[in-house]
Amino acid sequence: MRPIKDQTYYEILEVSPTATAKEIQRAYEHAKETFHADSMAVYSLFSEEEVEEIQKAIEEAFQVLMDETLRKSYDQSHFQTVGGQLTERPSEPPRGSKEKKPSLSFTGLSFNVEDGPYRGKTLKQIREKMGIELQAISKETKISIKILESIEEEVSEKLPALVYLKGFLKNYAQSLGLNPQKVIEEYIHSLEELKKK
Amino acid sequence: MGLICDEKQRGGFEWGGLFFARPPVCLQQAGDKPIPYLRGIRVGQVQNNNRKMIWTIGGGKGGSGKSFITANIGICLSKLGERVILIDADLGGANLHTFLGISPPVLSLSDFIKKRVFHLREVLIPTSTPNLQLLTGAQDLLNAADSKSVQKRKLIRSIQSLDSHTMLVDLGAGNSCSVLDFFLMSDGGIVVVTPEPTSIENTYRFLKSAFYRRLKQSVSSSSVKDLIDGAMDRKNEMGIQNPYDLIKAVRRVDEGDAQRMLEETKTFHPNLILNQVRSKKDIEIGFSIRSACLKYFGIHLHYLGYVVYDQDVSNSIRRRRPLVLENPKSRAAQCIMEIASKLVNRP
Repeated sequence: MRPIKDQTYYEILEVSPTATAKEIQRAYEHAKETFHADSMAVYSLFSEEEVEEIQKAIEEAFQVLMDETLRKSYDQSHFQTVGGQLTERPSEPPRGSKEKKPSLSFTGLSFNVEDGPYRGKTLKQIREKMGIELQAISKETKISIKILESIEEEVSEKLPALVYLKGFLKNYAQSLGLNPQKVIEEYIHSLEELKKK
Repeated sequence: MGLICDEKQRGGFEWGGLFFARPPVCLQQAGDKPIPYLRGIRVGQVQNNNRKMIWTIGGGKGGSGKSFITANIGICLSKLGERVILIDADLGGANLHTFLGISPPVLSLSDFIKKRVFHLREVLIPTSTPNLQLLTGAQDLLNAADSKSVQKRKLIRSIQSLDSHTMLVDLGAGNSCSVLDFFLMSDGGIVVVTPEPTSIENTYRFLKSAFYRRLKQSVSSSSVKDLIDGAMDRKNEMGIQNPYDLIKAVRRVDEGDAQRMLEETKTFHPNLILNQVRSKKDIEIGFSIRSACLKYFGIHLHYLGYVVYDQDVSNSIRRRRPLVLENPKSRAAQCIMEIASKLVNRP
């Protein structure tokens, strides 16, 4: 029993971690049909804001799970194989939790940082302060070093499409033990500001 | 109309003039355990003679078809060889007997509540269907719905001690404590909903009341009980909007109680029957309600099945003849049979 912000993408779409693309597609269509403002099934149970939050979570889950690379990366950071079955990592902090302290999962180190605003150079500074090489991040997140460099340098023309970028930022943030949602929001915002200038 | 495809083409079997269909494909979803529909079961034979199941049928809204469904499922189960007792717990508005074509009985729950009879089995009435008995409600007891807590507990204990394979308890409308306590006494609570906003709204209110009452029964701290009472009001000052907020708030008061509430959540699995469906879209509302309950309450609601809107239902009620006996081949009767076959095979 977890609120939507702490649920895995699979829980959000009510599919198993081994679901096929077809099953995910079907679950997404069902979820879209269920969670919209005019749906009878949400009437009187959820507020408009709650429905919107669920809709956003559904979209995010669908976009990641339907992309083979993003899904693989997500699975690696959230699940482990126990007895031949995919199970959620018990030590993984809740998705989107704002209360967790940043920690580096693969070194066991803990590193407190000031909260954002997260930009490329902030992420780089945090990483360097932690003494982590970009290669190590790349190895853990399966994101290519070139993309990681583009993210840190904020080279907008070299950055992938927004949907992929969000996924990469999420994994990068998680590998540094940062709040992924906050990192995504602030990074995208700073990117938009940069484009305006 | 194409809503129900030709069941004979999909398999199934005939029995006593009734045709038992396979489960509709649309009700099987990923994650559902496959149910062995009547596989290997013959008339007069049940899987386990020692088990006893109590199903309570509620749902908050009046007129959703609870009594109609209770009566007809009861007949189907008894035809499958189960010993069944139908209990009309719509205290103050009992009319389950009418759905069975029985005149208002002389003996009722009133006689038990008023201690005119010693044991509940003394007010059991036989019906024209073998293996099926009726325990009719207290029609003349206007304040029966608010019966004292001691009386209520005694009644619930007496119902639980009745000798039968299956008991179907038809509850009255509303969210009174009596209705909720009857709903929660069962092995499986069933809510009957029609695909209309009013019915769905009342059902959610009913489920929320039942869920919170069950949580309240599981905790020991009086301040946590007060917190749960307060959380029933969505405009509460504590800002508790949903069960997640509630458990979070309880955790600050008593970690043990918060843990107990989480455990209760895992075992609270009400069932859903969608009545009077007119289209495929209506059928799918059942799945959407299931998803909404999972997201809001964190509970797994089991979608037992649906009953199509059918003029034969109204005709059978007017004739005071149960649909599954009067017109077993009607579409609505087929749906009820499918639901009954699921109930008999539930672990």
